[in-house]
Amino acid sequence: MLEITSTPLVLIAILGTVGVLLPIISIARKEQGSNSFYAVIAFAALIVSMGYVGYQFLNDHIAASALFSDDVIVDDAFGGFFAIAMLIVAIFTTVGSFNYMRKHNSPAVYYSLILLATIGMVLVAYSTDLVMLFVAWELMSIPTYILVGYMKKNPSSNEAALKYFLFGALSSAIIVYGISISYGLTGSTNIGEVIQGYSTLDPSLLPLALLSVGMFIAGFGFKMGLVPFHQWLPDTYDGAPPTITALLAAATKKAGFAATIRIVVLGMVVLNLDWTLALGIIAVMTMTIGNVAAIMQKNISRMLAYSSIAHAGYILIGLAVAPHSSLGLQGSLYQIMNHAVMKGAAFIAIAGIVTTLAVTHIDKLQGLGRRMPITALGLVIALFALAGVPPLSGFWSKLMLFGSALDASSTLWWAPWLAIAGVLNSALSLAYYGWLTRKMYFEGETEKRIAEPKSIIAVMIFSTIFLVGFGVYPEPLLKFVEFATPVISLGLMP
Amino acid sequence: MTSELIDFTLVSVAMLGIGIYGLAVKRNFIRMLFAVEIIINAANLNLVAFGRFLPHSGGQTMALFSIAIAAAEVAVGLSLIIVAYRMYQNVDIADFRSLKG
Repeated sequence: MLEITSTPLVLIAILGTVGVLLPIISIARKEQGSNSFYAVIAFAALIVSMGYVGYQFLNDHIAASALFSDDVIVDDAFGGFFAIAMLIVAIFTTVGSFNYMRKHNSPAVYYSLILLATIGMVLVAYSTDLVMLFVAWELMSIPTYILVGYMKKNPSSNEAALKYFLFGALSSAIIVYGISISYGLTGSTNIGEVIQGYSTLDPSLLPLALLSVGMFIAGFGFKMGLVPFHQWLPDTYDGAPPTITALLAAATKKAGFAATIRIVVLGMVVLNLDWTLALGIIAVMTMTIGNVAAIMQKNISRMLAYSSIAHAGYILIGLAVAPHSSLGLQGSLYQIMNHAVMKGAAFIAIAGIVTTLAVTHIDKLQGLGRRMPITALGLVIALFALAGVPPLSGFWSKLMLFGSALDASSTLWWAPWLAIAGVLNSALSLAYYGWLTRKMYFEGETEKRIAEPKSIIAVMIFSTIFLVGFGVYPEPLLKFVEFATPVISLGLMP
Repeated sequence: MTSELIDFTLVSVAMLGIGIYGLAVKRNFIRMLFAVEIIINAANLNLVAFGRFLPHSGGQTMALFSIAIAAAEVAVGLSLIIVAYRMYQNVDIADFRSLKG
């Protein structure tokens, strides 16, 4: 049994209570209320949750690595790691919305939905039962469908929401089908028991087991934006309010990876099949198609959406080589944490640009470095960290990912090609990030500086400190990643 | 007994096929929503059928959760469609093309 003070339960209590109370407060006050009032409450709830996760970690109340248990959720470091990444993004979104939501109606519901979606994402990472995982998955998805379409009068927001909804609903349908097959084969919905059931499966039923795992990869892959399932992603990221895009790109995507690592990577090891090649091919396709499409974009949100697809490919390298190199999952987790901060900061910077200048076309961003110096600097640092330029934190995680691919080369003949593809893609991505930077700093007439939204500046300062700080001194983050990474071995079975 | 189980799974696979066909061919948003619902119900049928042949009720529990969640999902989807209908007077996804590139 979980204790009542265990991290996931306390997070549900804090975020759930505040999330449900916010609309009730707004009804009780009989007025729309100011945006900043609700934003402050939501921000406080997120900070308290973050503080609680940190407190639990510092006091060693959390077991290392990823565990299986008979309960539906487990209080382990793997879940805590994702909880921290997602809470950072949720805080970014809330803080960024201080300014962005000022002109829009019913802020209480908006912040309430952000909090509820955050519970869902956190619980996906903590769950050890397929029923719990599915419920958490939907708790994450349904609020984000509404949030993407939050600008009711805006046709592109509505279209983005419809596309996102259709693909999201399809992905959850596929996940339920995968769960139904794995339940039929093993007679249990507990992830640990499912994995154990697969290891003792009758060989004639193996194709069905593979089918269920394939359905899990497809279902989670829709949210992660892996290549055959990525068509909705640029449209949705472009049409959604940019603050919500930050939440989608940086947090719900990571929930997909959390679920994939817990089920597929840990589970497929026992199936003992050559599945790594399939993931490797998807990884290479994902990063190549993402980066090539990103180069051709004229709209900064779409460019970053495609770069987000490419980054799903980099993270997948670590998953593909996971059984052959201990660095693989570490690199993936490291990149997940960095990507949450980098992508979150980049989209919040776009939210700031949209709030003040109302432009997203790249040609209109000329001279941004002089008009909005702090936002532009934060955006550029996030972009270079995404590309993996050395003194920034993104460099170390990419180094670890590509290093893991080389590390696995003794047992996998094709693993070095993953590293080569990754390096080439990083160079390619540097081209369009550099082009964007040139537009912002070296083109356009000298224009007057305009007032930048204060909340956006706060996010930029935080992300810059995070990316530069952990870039120069990566030791603490590395230790944390090592602590949280699941150990792949057959001794892991319950 | 097992021949009964295979009947249920066959129906379920057929429903999965119908759902995927509907998603691939239809361009009316509500029809596509139905197609997704058919896939979810195929999975529910599977869960209940497997649960019937197992000594515990985990499958039925999962099916109940999934039915409730699917209802919530449809509520959100239909509300999005209503907003879109007010804007375009149409629910054909071929008309929604303000985003591309």
